Amino acid sequence: MKEHEGFWVFIEQIEGKISEVGLELLSKARELADQKGTYTAAILLGDFSKEDAKKLTHYGADKVFLFSDERLNRYCCLAYSRLITPLVEREKPEALFMGATPLGADLAPRVAAQLETGLSAHCVDLRLGEDGILEQIVPGFGGTMMAVIICPEKRPQMATVMPGVFKKSESHKKGEVIEEEVTLSGEDFIPEAVEYRTKKQKTVPLEGANVVVCGGYGMENEENWKLLEELASVLGGAVGATRPAVDEGWAPEEVMIGQSGKIVRPKLYIGAGISGVMHHVVGIQDSDIIVVINKDPGAQFFEVCDFGVVGDAEKILPALIEKLKERFSS
Amino acid sequence: MPNVVVCVKPIPDPRHWDRLFLDPETGVLKRAGIPPALNPLDKNALEVALQLKERFGWEVTVVSMAPPDTTKALREALAMGADRVYLASDKALAGADTLATAYTLAQLIRKKASPFHLVICGNISLDGSTSQVPAQIAHYLGIPHITHATHVETEDGQLFTITMNIKKGELVFRCTTPFLLAVTKDVNLPRLVNVMGIIAAETKPLEVIDARELELDLDKVGLKGSPTRVRGLFIPEIKRRREILTGEPEEVAEELLNKLHEAGVL
Ligand SMILES: Cc1cc2nc3c(=O)[nH]c(=O)nc-3n(C[C@H](O)[C@H](O)[C@H](O)COP(=O)(O)OP(=O)(O)OC[C@H]3O[C@@H](n4cnc5c(N)ncnc54)[C@H](O)[C@@H]3O)c2cc1C
Ligand SMILES: Cc1cc2nc3c(=O)[nH]c(=O)nc-3n(C[C@H](O)[C@H](O)[C@H](O)COP(=O)(O)OP(=O)(O)OC[C@H]3O[C@@H](n4cnc5c(N)ncnc54)[C@H](O)[C@@H]3O)c2cc1C
Repeated sequence: MKEHEGFWVFIEQIEGKISEVGLELLSKARELADQKGTYTAAILLGDFSKEDAKKLTHYGADKVFLFSDERLNRYCCLAYSRLITPLVEREKPEALFMGATPLGADLAPRVAAQLETGLSAHCVDLRLGEDGILEQIVPGFGGTMMAVIICPEKRPQMATVMPGVFKKSESHKKGEVIEEEVTLSGEDFIPEAVEYRTKKQKTVPLEGANVVVCGGYGMENEENWKLLEELASVLGGAVGATRPAVDEGWAPEEVMIGQSGKIVRPKLYIGAGISGVMHHVVGIQDSDIIVVINKDPGAQFFEVCDFGVVGDAEKILPALIEKLKERFSS
Repeated sequence: MPNVVVCVKPIPDPRHWDRLFLDPETGVLKRAGIPPALNPLDKNALEVALQLKERFGWEVTVVSMAPPDTTKALREALAMGADRVYLASDKALAGADTLATAYTLAQLIRKKASPFHLVICGNISLDGSTSQVPAQIAHYLGIPHITHATHVETEDGQLFTITMNIKKGELVFRCTTPFLLAVTKDVNLPRLVNVMGIIAAETKPLEVIDARELELDLDKVGLKGSPTRVRGLFIPEIKRRREILTGEPEEVAEELLNKLHEAGVL
């Protein structure tokens, strides 16, 4: 029997446009494969040419398995899983990663069930244990700690990973594209995706911003929230929010930062009125400098900050805005 | 009578999560003495079912896998308007990961709640938060699934139009019954329980079923049937300067800006 070998990534695409998360995962797969002395592979489904698929080798894929078919441009779980599962059974990779995006979260569990293997959700890190087993790090238990999930016996070891956790990187290794046959009938395209609508998104430059000013439930009201917007605008940054702040309607869902929202890594992060549980912290911990403003000196967030200001955000923020304006005008 | 199945997960009441702990031997989460509550999104799932009941006269069957002391929380589903609850509860089921959970729930649905038009789940639980169980139940039942649903529409109770939120946009699916649906909070506003509902719930059937009666393959349930394990827990170490500034707003603002300038980020 063939040993299970190789780190694989499902390359997500939406209406033919490849999502970043697949490329990010390829770079992590590359790193893990190098550590183990094995190979990486990408699975690409959709209306793509061999040349399109070849581009994935520039992001770390040794092999690209391509299912080229116009009908696959639009996501359909059954059709996708009925191509991916037999391929995985044939090639026997040791691990398979997908993005912890809605499509990945819809597809991965179905594939895992078909393969009768384990799957871990919303990972914020992947690493190899001393025994060579993949350790999948998920935030757990009310956000106070991280759990290490493993899949000791079944293969492949499967995980969905949050977008933004890993950085995509270009690589100069040469890879090959393997064209796979698409054997599907109409019955495989159930349910039928009849329409795709792009959402009118307000431009949120959050992910790329050098400065992120983030507010939590401690901002207390919409009036105070405006202070964050003003501070962000003085600093040329973007505004983010915790879940309770989004729930209060002070900020749109798209700017939520953390485990179930965006992951940011700005030069400067300023968090005001935020308690700092792990669910939020995982989204900001790679920032260069973390500033925390909280009126409770015992707030958990102070433990992970560079500079902490103990005080009322309603008073601290206007003082900061004032002083900054002075500095920038002189 | 046409039947719609709702999967409802009792979870440890989030208000008492500070009392959770892990069994150091097995790595399994212990809920020691924390009162159960219904997973919030499962109320949205139930609301979809109850509206279908009102329109088409369907029966609403709730299925659940949980320890036996959760029946009190499950009565709330009956009080909202569900017709009956089947609770799979057995020592053999403890420690299940999502695969073992889905296998067990699918078997419960087969045995007790079939035939069905629809199976409705919440999109994600608040405690385990994997969001994996719905698609895996659908696999074991051999039916299609749609998750992340924000809109559910039907004219005749057979052909459904479902909108899936995929963040960057929306996919609109058309699907005929039977299939499985997992809903987000955008789908509706769950009704509140009233006194009449609570009284009615007292006499509605709530049946607790063990592994033997479900004729489960014991190699596929509980911790034994779970391919994943919790290897450990840790509090992530984040090395930061942790310089805490206190004082009058004007002073600390000035001090902070000086520090940020020194650190090279201003
Ligand atoms: C911190 C933590 C991390 C975990 N990580 C993993 C992991 O990576 N991989 C893994 O396989 N397991 C994991 N588990 C175990 C997993 O949470 C359990 O298997 C759990 O029984 C089901 O998963 P869920 O709560 O994540 O459900 P989800 O998939 O999030 O639940 C979605 C919906 O499925 C239905 N549903 C789920 N469970 C039940 C139930 N018992 N009864 C009725 N309906 C139900 C409900 O409608 C619910 O709204 C983890 C558990 C914890 C506490
Ligand atoms: C599965 C799961 C996923 C989650 N994902 C996310 C996620 O992605 N992102 C996220 O943010 N949350 C997420 N959460 C929620 C998370 O657990 C916390 O509830 C949330 O991050 C807390 O937000 P907060 O700090 O704004 O509010 P709180 O915890 O209420 O904290 C408010 C803080 O403000 C301080 N404060 C009050 N008034 C003032 C004032 N005037 N001036 C200064 N400080 C003040 C208080 O001292 C307190 O520390 C998730 C939860 C779960 C269960």
